Amino acid sequence: MADVTLRAITKSFGDVRIIKGIDLEIADGEFCVFVGPSGCGKSTLLRMIAGLEDITSGSLSIGGREMADVEPAGRGVAMVFQSYALYPHMTVRDNISFGLRMTGHKPADIEARLRRAADMLQLTHLLDRKPSQLSGGQRQRVAIGRAIVREPQVFLFDEPLSNLDAALRVQMRTEIGKLHADLRATMIYVTHDQVEAMTMAGKIVVLNAGAVEQAGSPLELYHRPRNLFVAGFIGSPRMNFVAGTAAPAAHGRIEVVLGDGARVLLDGRGATVTAAQPVTLGIRPEHLTAGGGGLRATVRLAEYLGSETMFYAQLADGSGIAVKADGLAKAAAGSTLDIGINPAACHLFDKDGVAVIHGDLTR
Amino acid sequence: MFPRPIQKSPPWLQLSYKALLPVALVIWLLPLIGIAVTSVRPSSDLAAGNYFGWPSRFAGVENYASVFQNSNIGWYILNSFKVTIPTVIGAVGLSCLTGFALAVYKFRLNLAVFFMFVAGNFVPFQILAIPVRELTLRLGLYDTITGLVLFHAAFQTGFCTLFMRNFIKALPFALIESARVEGVSEWKIFRHIVLPLMRPAIAALSVLIFTFVWNDYFWATIMAQSADVRPVTAGMNELKGQWKVAWELITAASIVAALPPVAMFFLMQKHFIAGLTLGATKG
Amino acid sequence: MATHRSSRWSQRRLAPWLFLAPGALLFLLYVIIPIGQSVWISFYDWDGLGAATWIGLRNYADLLDDDSFYTSLRNNVWWLVLYLLAIPAGLAIALFLNQTVTGIRLYKSLFFFPFVISQVVVGLIFSWFYAPDFGLLPRILGFLTGTETAILADERYATFGIIAAGLWPQIAYCMILYLTGLNNINPEQVEAARMDNARGFAMLWHIVLPQLRPATFIALVVTVIGALRSFDLVSIMTAGGPYGSTRVLSYFMYEQSLSEYGTAMGYGAAIAVVLFAIMLVFISLFITRMLMQERNA
Ligand SMILES: Nc1ncnc2c1ncn2[C@@H]1O[C@H](COP(=O)(O)OP(=O)(O)OP(=O)(O)O)[C@@H](O)[C@H]1O
Ligand SMILES: [Mg+2]
Repeated sequence: MADVTLRAITKSFGDVRIIKGIDLEIADGEFCVFVGPSGCGKSTLLRMIAGLEDITSGSLSIGGREMADVEPAGRGVAMVFQSYALYPHMTVRDNISFGLRMTGHKPADIEARLRRAADMLQLTHLLDRKPSQLSGGQRQRVAIGRAIVREPQVFLFDEPLSNLDAALRVQMRTEIGKLHADLRATMIYVTHDQVEAMTMAGKIVVLNAGAVEQAGSPLELYHRPRNLFVAGFIGSPRMNFVAGTAAPAAHGRIEVVLGDGARVLLDGRGATVTAAQPVTLGIRPEHLTAGGGGLRATVRLAEYLGSETMFYAQLADGSGIAVKADGLAKAAAGSTLDIGINPAACHLFDKDGVAVIHGDLTR
Repeated sequence: MFPRPIQKSPPWLQLSYKALLPVALVIWLLPLIGIAVTSVRPSSDLAAGNYFGWPSRFAGVENYASVFQNSNIGWYILNSFKVTIPTVIGAVGLSCLTGFALAVYKFRLNLAVFFMFVAGNFVPFQILAIPVRELTLRLGLYDTITGLVLFHAAFQTGFCTLFMRNFIKALPFALIESARVEGVSEWKIFRHIVLPLMRPAIAALSVLIFTFVWNDYFWATIMAQSADVRPVTAGMNELKGQWKVAWELITAASIVAALPPVAMFFLMQKHFIAGLTLGATKG
Repeated sequence: MATHRSSRWSQRRLAPWLFLAPGALLFLLYVIIPIGQSVWISFYDWDGLGAATWIGLRNYADLLDDDSFYTSLRNNVWWLVLYLLAIPAGLAIALFLNQTVTGIRLYKSLFFFPFVISQVVVGLIFSWFYAPDFGLLPRILGFLTGTETAILADERYATFGIIAAGLWPQIAYCMILYLTGLNNINPEQVEAARMDNARGFAMLWHIVLPQLRPATFIALVVTVIGALRSFDLVSIMTAGGPYGSTRVLSYFMYEQSLSEYGTAMGYGAAIAVVLFAIMLVFISLFITRMLMQERNA
């Protein structure tokens, strides 16, 4: 069992608190992705789990064992660095087996593990090369191979794909996914690319400024973001936010009056609002329709992507709104667009940014 | 590139640049060329006042031969090697360790220790001279090769530590962390990961320290007395007094004494300059 | 298990000290402690053999009455000021050589050459160069001015003659620092500045020199240290003469305490302390700057 549990973990560099009390459970065998904007503390948190940074306060356990005083090597974790950290003076073979050799494994055992990892990662024909003679993707695989041979219970990845080009990134994404399926180890993966997070994760942890905004499955975060930050961070293109006021309406419904006077009637789903409560309405571009609706906007820019068309328009109160329309839709810049809103897909956030209503279409 | 590449200038300027180069070089090296020519003059030329003309005949062989026959310079050169080589090994070896410690570990006194080495490396020799000579006397090492080597190795450790520490700091730290996650002991990280990557730094420092120590004159003068310890720099001063106006011999001996570091420089030029210009490009 | 863990952790805490120990102890023994001892000795009257007598600040008071001390001090100032010329001169040669024509590498090496040669040999070379009757320079000067001057025998010129000898390798050193610096200049910045119509001196001043700042810093450090350390050339070329006019503090100290007849240990130590104090001003400046860079790194 290698579940990872964080309890009230904090980290300060000098007086600056970087990690502000994180509680998290990562189940055995889970693929957990940390996402968040640059500088939010993802790497720091990962390095604390690895034992490369010590923990200022709180407790960390892996497989039920408290880890605060355990050195990195004793934690049963392996880490793949963003820069790969391959030893430039060693061949691929030596790079992969170095840790094993240094910790006194038997040569036969080392050889067997090396073969298995090289097979798995298609590195067998590259074993005698130096890192400088490898392509980016191959280096990446060597770095992963070095982690695999240690047969860790927990794999830690810090933005491992960020140095690869787009095509290779997609390929390595599936390879790491396959690896997870084969090894069934717990994997913790840091990225700031939310597409990577959505496609790979069993569980996404959205971090912001050293705290967890929300943790859950990708679709849960997509459909039921807990607050404005998560709603804006997960999903591409980004969710639209329109300021307005809410008031209770008949049959438990809620009426939202947007800045320019347009009205949207939402199913309250048990939520209550006070009269004239200031709110933010959140709606994803893919849940809007171009034309035939009640929200009037002026088109500023149209992007024709073939499969779809993106309209970037401006509402009367000056706020911007993006609409994802059919690939055949057309509207010139400057023309007026009557945007249709699907009320069931609307999220409503109170003035603190906390979700009051989830526009969860799966329900 | 600055200044503008000469290739982009009009042809006459390019030509004059190329003509100016050797002229400038000759002027720059004039003193050196002068002694080189003098060292192959027969002594009769000097007596006859032919200081600048073409040597009446080539007397290089006899001058250089006589330098070796009529003086201990062969021994002095040997002594210089005996002092220089162990010093290089000692200072570079020690500083690999100290540089690693200061580059890789965070501890409270880290910067203090580092700047102790840096500051010590800048002090005038005279402030060390009396106590160091006393210490060497008390250790029974006065007027021995070992005494000189110990001091030089200790002193050069300052500069070497500055150099090594900055060099290791510039290596990707992830290499070390990666090994730590793999459970590699600190000594093995040093031995198997950092040390192999330090080769260029070791080469650069070795040639540099070789030159510094070979060219040392002050310590050679105050710590060595007997001919079987005296390094060639101190020896040269003695020969100068002994030969007075036999400039064909003094110049020939000078050239002999200068030769090892010069050879070192031309053989290991890249490393030498890398060492000297440490930090001149970044930081 | 718990003890095992903590022992591994304390290994990480102990490791730096184990790596440091041999080098740091030797350095303490031969460099740091002797500085303190010299300061201590400077308060004594001691001939190096017999018993030492505490005399407080007497050595320093004596220094203030010693003409040789003032001569040395004045010469040290000359050394420092004139040595700084090595920096612009080195830059000028570096700019001159920073081209890519055939054989330029060899030219660069040969221009650097004087630095590799021991100062003893440089001193001999210049003694020969300056020698009256047959030296090259008196000949040239004689040709130009009509009178041959024996530079090293003339109290007015001797120190400057030695400084000129010292500048020769020092310029070479500064040149190589700047050549490396020029080599690492960001060419795009220079090109961008060219688009902005900067050229010649404006380019040098606004674009190139700021990028050469690290090289200038190192050149400044090695030049100041080199100037204050000047000993070899004085010893070889004039041994402080004529009439002690070319003494510098380092040589003065040597005469008092270390040479064949020098037995005034306390007095010499006091001279060394003064020299050290002067140096300390510069060392502190350098270290402060380096420390600031460390903090920003
Ligand atoms: N050693 C350190 N000393 C002081 N502050 C640090 C240190 N390491 C990181 N920080 C600070 O901690 C914060 C979090 O850094 P971290 O590297 O964890 O961010 P990140 O989420 O991984 O960002 P990125 O996506 O850019 O990699 C940053 O503001 C950073 O400046
Ligand atoms: Mg990061």
